Amino acid sequence: MRLTLDILQVLILILGAPLVRAIVARLKARLQRRRGSSVWRPYAELFKLLCKEELVPPTSSAVFRVAPMVLFGATVCAAGFVPVVHASALLGSRGDFFLFVYVLALGRFFLSLGGLDGGSAFGGMGASREALISSLAEAPFLLGLVAIAVLAARADIAGMVAWTLGQNVFNISAVHILALTSLAMVTLAETGRMPVDNPTTHLELTMIHEGMVLEYSGPSLALIEWASAIKLHTLLALLIALFFPWGMASSGAAWGIAVALLLYCAKVAVLMILLSVIESAVAKLRMYLVPDFLGVASALSALAVIFTMWMKR
Amino acid sequence: MGLVGIATEKILSSFSVFLFLTILLLAVARRISTSVLLFGLQSAIIAAEVFATAFQEKLPEVYIVGALVFLIKVVGIPRAFFLLVKRLKTVRDVKASTTPTQSVFIAAAIIYLSYAAVHSYGGAVHVPDDPLAAAVSLILTGAFLMVSRKKALMQMLGLLVLENGIFLAALITTFGMPLVIEIGIFFDILMGLLLMGIFTFRISDTFEHLDVSKLRRLRG
Repeated sequence: MRLTLDILQVLILILGAPLVRAIVARLKARLQRRRGSSVWRPYAELFKLLCKEELVPPTSSAVFRVAPMVLFGATVCAAGFVPVVHASALLGSRGDFFLFVYVLALGRFFLSLGGLDGGSAFGGMGASREALISSLAEAPFLLGLVAIAVLAARADIAGMVAWTLGQNVFNISAVHILALTSLAMVTLAETGRMPVDNPTTHLELTMIHEGMVLEYSGPSLALIEWASAIKLHTLLALLIALFFPWGMASSGAAWGIAVALLLYCAKVAVLMILLSVIESAVAKLRMYLVPDFLGVASALSALAVIFTMWMKR
Repeated sequence: MGLVGIATEKILSSFSVFLFLTILLLAVARRISTSVLLFGLQSAIIAAEVFATAFQEKLPEVYIVGALVFLIKVVGIPRAFFLLVKRLKTVRDVKASTTPTQSVFIAAAIIYLSYAAVHSYGGAVHVPDDPLAAAVSLILTGAFLMVSRKKALMQMLGLLVLENGIFLAALITTFGMPLVIEIGIFFDILMGLLLMGIFTFRISDTFEHLDVSKLRRLRG
């Protein structure tokens, strides 16, 4: 029963990911008074890409072909760490949050290798920018999670969630607010959303993610796009699980799980609305301001870790 | 009683956390209008704490102070600032002399310092740590904003943040000052704001900018 639930959670994260991305795009379109495309289109696009022939640049090596698979595998693996409807996860007992962060980092590393190996100028540019951003985002990501882990005295994400579930909703501590702020900023940077990267276009010189995937086509492109959607969904689910887990099912009862699932959908919907509002309201940062953005996130999460000394939630 | 009582307790125990957040956001804010909004938010949090104190200690005159805080600091002063910004037609940037990252690290250090300073003191006088540390860090942040921002408007704002800190410290250690003194202080703030507003107009008239780091020479 427990195993089925855990597998169900991973499936929700993986299969729901394109939908989440499409709904954010749709909401953005609505905010800009466009109609936007159907929310089911990403699935059709993935299917179309998976059926297509793959074209590989003649100069590229095996890394170019392997990179999308590693990225997809790593992202799916990371999705296995995050609880969705109850406070445990498929890989919950097999690794702590360090593994979660670095499995995601492994995926990014291979994606930027693939971008470099493709041989186009845009790929190299995107890869070097990606390397800059991920190296700067790593510190706040880890420190934000460390702060929560210190409070919960647990290192696995599922354990942290189980601890938070036992707390009172209203006794918010400085640690949680600081960690939430910095992790939300990191989520924006890690998933290439608006103040850091523009996810909607591959027509500008400042592109990061789109620059790296420019040379990819067919099934490889499908894997990369799907992986980045899964990453967005996983990080949103992580924010929900760490900071607003209340309502998760405590036992295996069917109606409890149904309620938890509905509540999860509502929470994700709120986050998606927030994300689309932020993306419509904020202009993209200049590349040289991105270190400032992430520096602020680092300071917030460092402060959160320091605060764990004083705060007993 | 029930629900309101619980709400007041929660406000008193955990709202100071949001004050820390406004401090950190003030450190990174790039625009004058953002800073003014943050100041309004900060004052609203303090007004909520005033009302909570009034309810918990059953002091009717503190309600009046709370209403004054709301009217003057949440509604009045931000509006006056927006009017000033609009009239002065100045650049929106705050002209910080530190980068946002440096400022946020300094603000973080200020919060840490104030906790360290308050930690030994709070236990002795039976005052909760968090709000007192928030008050001290508001005072220090106000001073920091005044020295690190070059726009004359931001120095007024820094002074107001500093005043918020003093007000909060008075509120948690002694449940606020007597009403007459409180009204006097509010009057002082309004007069100060008026004077500083006139001064900024004069500065922008004679120098055609508001950058205080360039006010080196006398000009007729």
